[in-house]
Order: sequence, then structure tokens, then C-alpha cells
Amino acid sequence: MTAQTAAPDPSSRSQEFAPVQGGGDSTSAGALLVVAYLVMWALLLGFLGLGWRRQGKLETRLSELERSVAGKAPGA
Amino acid sequence: MSAVKSRRDLVFWALFALTAVVFAFEIGFVFFKVPEAQAGSGGIAQKIFYFHVPAAYAMYLSGGVGFLASALYLYGATDLRDAWAKAGAECAVCFGSLVLTSGPLWAKKAWGVYWTFDPRLTTLLLTVLIYAAVVMLRVFGGSGEAERRFAAALTVLGTVTLPIVHYSVQKWGGNHPTVITKGGGGLGHPDMKLALGIGFFAMTLLAALLVWMRARLNFASSRLAAAEEAAAAAGIGETT
Repeated sequence: MTAQTAAPDPSSRSQEFAPVQGGGDSTSAGALLVVAYLVMWALLLGFLGLGWRRQGKLETRLSELERSVAGKAPGA
Repeated sequence: MSAVKSRRDLVFWALFALTAVVFAFEIGFVFFKVPEAQAGSGGIAQKIFYFHVPAAYAMYLSGGVGFLASALYLYGATDLRDAWAKAGAECAVCFGSLVLTSGPLWAKKAWGVYWTFDPRLTTLLLTVLIYAAVVMLRVFGGSGEAERRFAAALTVLGTVTLPIVHYSVQKWGGNHPTVITKGGGGLGHPDMKLALGIGFFAMTLLAALLVWMRARLNFASSRLAAAEEAAAAAGIGETT
């Protein structure tokens, strides 16, 4: 998963993609691209979904509070 | 008040629609128009770049919002400032996670490994962990004044590390290239630069949308909690 880096000059390394010592690149670039996009969109949709669920809980609590207030209102 | 709310909803949904359209265009443009990079930059895997870099920028934006709101909260505590501070940290974790998952997948092709403790990768990981700590604190530590203030201070600390992340490549080198400022990493074709520009625009819209959405949610949540406390104090019903 991780590897030690080779140690060329930092200024030249930082301007290009330099292979890391001990790493192989046999993985399909297309597969990596698809997985990256799937993971990114899954994370974003998950974040949106969690917000949506929290919104639902909030509305439920609000409805309960409104019912309680209506039940205690004069003439109720 | 309701006119203001409906106008705000209109702006929100307009922003949502614009974001969706820009992202749809960006995806089509990246996959069907933008040429593949050279094998040394990852070949087709380099197309991760058009979302990876803008996601990092969106993390900076979210962290910036969190920083501003947190600093204002520490200056004078209000529920609204707390809501924006929390929203900034939450979105920074979201965008930071996008960067930390997409980057290693691209790195596998460009560098041959998923991860290496390069200065930029390490500092970014630390920053995302700080924001994650803020979110965890707020989820499990409650919403007391002390927790809010501590979370605000931690958010300020998290954002102070962002310039370190940004300049780590220039200062300490490492495997991560300085793609934009020094032209490395496969931005040779004009369409590549255009795709990156659209990516930045799309992520700016998305960051604005998500931070706004979370801030509204956080603020509504704190208002509801206050209303429940007031109702309980007045002996009105039992609320969960």
C-alpha cells in the first residue's frame, strides 16, 4: 500500500510525476478512473443523503412540537 | 418573512440546478472532449485530476468559511455563527475525503503506489483529520457552550494548516507535482486547462450549495432545540 520514496532533487520532483521506488503500475488506468469517479460521487451523495435524513428528523421533531403546542393552546 | 424565505428557496434551487448543469457539462467535456494525458501523467487516469484538484480547492473554501465563522463565534457567540462554523468543518471533511480517495487512485497509475508520505499528502491528511475531529466533537460531544468554543478553536487551527498544505509542495518538494503553478503533470492541451477551469467553477458552486445547505440545517436544528427547551420549561407537552 505504501512505499519509500526515491530521493531525487525535490525541486525537479515537484514538477512532474515521478514513479515511486518499489511501485508497479500494472493496474488498469480505466478501472482506476471509474472507481475514482464512483467513490467521489458515492461520497457526495452519501453526504447529501445524511443531510436529507437529518432534515427529515428535524421535521418530525417540529411536527411533534407543533402538536404539543396546539394541544396546550387555549380552546384546544 | 415568508417572501424572504421563498426568495431564498428560489435562489437555493436555482443554485442547485446551475450546479447540476455545470457538473453534467464538465463530466461530458472531460470524458468526450479533453484528450488523454501522456502515460507519465497517468494516461486516462489523469482525468481524475479535473475533480481532484477542484475538490481540494473546495476544501479550502469550506475551511475558509469555517474559519471565518469560528473566529466570529469566538469573538461573539451566536447560533448562526456556530451553524456556519460547523457547516464549514463538515463540508471540509466531505471535500477532503474526495481528495484523499481520488488522489491515491490516480497516484497508483502515475506513481505506482496508492500512498506515500509525501509532504503534501501528509499535511492534507492531518488537516482533514483536524476537521474530522471537529465534526466528531460536535456529533458526540453535544452542543454546550464549551464544546462549541472548543470546536471553533479547532476549526481555526484546521484552517491555519491549509497554507501549509498548499505551499508544502513548493517548500519541501516531494512526489506531488506543482501542476498549476509550474505547468507540470499534463496540462499541455488548451482543453485540459478549460476543463480544469470549469471544474473549479463547478466545485465553487457545489461548495457554496453544500455549505449553505448544512448551515441552514444546523441553524434550524439549534432553533428547534431552543424551542423544545422553551416548550418544556413552559410545561407544553413532551417532546423527543
